[in-house]
Amino acid sequence: MRIAVCAPQVPFERGGTEILAETLVRELRTRGHEVEEVKIPFKWYPRASALREAVVWRLVDIEEAQERPVDLVIATKYPSYAIRHSNKVVWLVHQFRQAYELDRADFGQFGEDPFDRATVRAIHRVDRQTLREAKRLFAISRNVADRLERSTGLTADVLPPPPQQLDYRSSEAAGEFVLSVGRLDRAKRVDLLLEAAALDGSLNVVVAGEGPDRNRLERLSAERGLDGRVTFAGRVGDDELVDLYARSLAVFYAPFDEDFGFVPYEAFLSERPVVTTHDAGGPLEVVVDPENGIVCEPVPSAVASALSWLAANPEEARARGRAGKRRAEEVTWDSVIDRLVGA
Amino acid sequence: MNVAYYSPLPPERSGIADYSALLLPALQERLDIAVPRRGAQRSPRGTEVALYHIGNNPDAHGWIVEALRRRPGIVVLHDFVLHHLVAGLTLGQGDAEGYLEAMQRDAGVVGRMLAHGVADGLLPPIWEYRAEDFPLTGEVLSRADGVICHSKYVERRAGEYGYAGPISVIPMPAWPSVELGARVAPEGRPVLACVGYLNAAKRIPQLLEAFARLRRRFPEARLVLAGAVAADVELDDGHLGDGVVRLDHLDENDLWQLLADCDVCVSLRGPTMGETSGMAIRALSLGKPLVVSDLGWFSELPDSVALKVPVDERELDELTAVLERLAGDDELRSRMGAAALEYARREHDLDRVADRYVAAIEEMAGGPAVRDAVLSEVARAAGEVGIGRNDAQLAEIAASLREVGLGR
Repeated sequence: MRIAVCAPQVPFERGGTEILAETLVRELRTRGHEVEEVKIPFKWYPRASALREAVVWRLVDIEEAQERPVDLVIATKYPSYAIRHSNKVVWLVHQFRQAYELDRADFGQFGEDPFDRATVRAIHRVDRQTLREAKRLFAISRNVADRLERSTGLTADVLPPPPQQLDYRSSEAAGEFVLSVGRLDRAKRVDLLLEAAALDGSLNVVVAGEGPDRNRLERLSAERGLDGRVTFAGRVGDDELVDLYARSLAVFYAPFDEDFGFVPYEAFLSERPVVTTHDAGGPLEVVVDPENGIVCEPVPSAVASALSWLAANPEEARARGRAGKRRAEEVTWDSVIDRLVGA
Repeated sequence: MNVAYYSPLPPERSGIADYSALLLPALQERLDIAVPRRGAQRSPRGTEVALYHIGNNPDAHGWIVEALRRRPGIVVLHDFVLHHLVAGLTLGQGDAEGYLEAMQRDAGVVGRMLAHGVADGLLPPIWEYRAEDFPLTGEVLSRADGVICHSKYVERRAGEYGYAGPISVIPMPAWPSVELGARVAPEGRPVLACVGYLNAAKRIPQLLEAFARLRRRFPEARLVLAGAVAADVELDDGHLGDGVVRLDHLDENDLWQLLADCDVCVSLRGPTMGETSGMAIRALSLGKPLVVSDLGWFSELPDSVALKVPVDERELDELTAVLERLAGDDELRSRMGAAALEYARREHDLDRVADRYVAAIEEMAGGPAVRDAVLSEVARAAGEVGIGRNDAQLAEIAASLREVGLGR
C-alpha cells in the first residue's frame, strides 16, 4: 500500500509527535508498505496563524504522486488532518489545544477580543469540517478521544501508540535520582518536581529535555538552593536516555491534562515507577496507583511525599516498575498498524 | 466579550420578553452584557458587538430596529415575516413613503402599487391577510452582521431572500417548570389544551370543529382554550360547543399547571410567520404529546413528539383523525410524552442553548476580520508567485478555503 503519514513540524523541535510519526513510517515500511512522511513547518502565532497553517495543509494535493495513486493518508495532529484525501485516516495526537482545553487557562494563547474569540471558533470549524471527512478516526488516548467528542461530537477509537523502541534495561541497584523527561514548557510542570525537591533535601533530580521554560526552571532551581541536587541534562541521545531511565529511582511525569505521553511507557519498559498527578490527563490511563506508580495531588508537598516514599521503599518501587513493564509490553505496533491500514 | 443586548424584557408581556428573561442570566455567566433600557438612543459604552432581538410587534421591537439602524449587529430573528413591524414603523408613524419603499424592496413595482392601495385606504391592510407573501425582512437583514434564528425554516427563508451573511440556528431554550399545585383544567378523558393568543392563525375554528367530531367517539373529552382572544375569531359561548372550556389569560403558574394537567397540547398554525412556539416547548418540557401544523418550525419537530396536520383541504379530517388516535391510545401518549421529555432535555437545554449563543456571537463578531486576515495572507502569497485574480488556480485556492470554513 502507498501511504502518506502527515505531521506538522515545529522547526528545530523534536518531541513525542515527531517520534510517533517517524516510528510509524518505519514500522509501516518494515511491513512492506511504500511510505512517505509529509511534513510542513508549523507556526501557530501570532493570532490567526494557526488558521493559515490549516489552509496550507488543505492546499496539499496528495491524491496521487507521479501518476500513481496514494492509497492512504494518515494524519496525526492539527493542522495536518486538514489535508484533503479520499482515504484519510486520522490518528489523533491532539487538536490545537490552545483553542480548546487550554483556552482561557494558564497556558492559553487567545484573549477575549472579538478577533481572538472568532479565531478560536474558526479553528473549531476547521476541526469539525476536516475531521469528519476521515474514513476512520483514532485517538492516541481516551483523554484525546473524550476531548474530541466534547468539542466536535465525533467519536474516535482509542489506539495508544507503542513507545519508541530503545534498548531499555532495568537495574536492581537503588535509584540515584528522580528523572523528568520531556520538552521544557510550562504545561509540563517540571517546577512541581523542583519545588518537591526543595521540600525533601534527600532527593536528587535529573531533568532531560529542552524548551522555552528552561531558563525559568534554572532560576527557580537556584532560588530554592537546589544547585548540586538538580541537573539539567538538556536534550539527550537515545543511549543516554536509556541509561538515565535505568539509573533512576522513579520517573516524574505530571503535565497538565496531557494528551498521552510516552514517558510513562518508557519508564515502565525500564521497570521504573511513575509519579503523576490527578489532573495529568492521558498519563492516568497507564499510571495506576498503586499498581505501577503513584498518583497524587498537583502540589509540591504531595509530589515530595510520593517520591520520598518510593525512595524509602526501594523494593516496592521496583515491584511497581515491573508491573508497569507488563502493561507497556501489551501495546505493539502490529496491532496499531492493522487498525490504521484497515486490515 | 462585551455585548449590548437589545430585547424587550419583563414586565413587558411578550414571548420574546419571557425568552430574554430566561436566556439573559445564562448569557451573563458567559459574556459581559450590557442591557440598554427600552428606547435607549446610544449603544452602551465599551460594547464590542450588539445583539438585537427582533419580532413582528412594532410596539415591542420598534426601538430595537431604530438601534439596529444606528449600529449594525447580530439579529435574533424571532419571526421571519416582519410585515406588521415594518407597517407599524412606517404607516403607523405617518411614513407612507417608508412603507412604499419597503414593499417595493420586497416585490418591485407590484409591491409599491399594493402599498399605495393600502396607504390610500383602497385596499385592506396586507398584514392582516397576506403578510407571509410580503415579509418585509429586507431592511433588518441588510443591517445584520449575522442572524440567529430558531428553525431551519427561517434559515432557509432568509437564504432564499438573498441574505448571504452567517446564520446560526439555535433552539429556543426550555423554561424550568414551576412548582405545580392544584389542578386548573377540568377533568376529562382526554384533556386537550390550546394555550396562547387565540387568533385565526392558531386554526381555532378548525380545532373546534375537529374537537366536536372527536366528542362523538370520546364524549368525555375536554378542550381547554386558554388565552386572550383576537378579533378574527369568535369564541363566545355560542361558538364553543360541548366539552370546550374557555380560560382567560393565565398567570405563569396557572399556565404551567394547565399544561401539566392536560393530556395533549395542540399548537396549530397557518400561516406561519416563521415563529417558534414557547407554549409548545413548555409542553414538551412537561412531557406532553403535541399536535401541530405541518409547516415552518413545527414541521421540524420529530415525529416521536409531535403529530402533524397539513394546512390544506385535508386539515379537518386529519386533525380529527390525529386527535382520535391520541384520545384512544394511552400507550401512544405515554410514549410520546417520554420522547418529548428527552427531546426537550436534549435540544432545548438552557446551558446548551447559551453555549451555542456564545459560539455564534463570537463567530459573527470577529469572524469577518479573521477571515480577512487569513485570506489576505493567502492572496498575498498567491500574488507573489504570480497567481492573479482571474487565474483558475485562485478558484482552487478559494475552494480549499471554503472547505475549511474560511471562504466567503
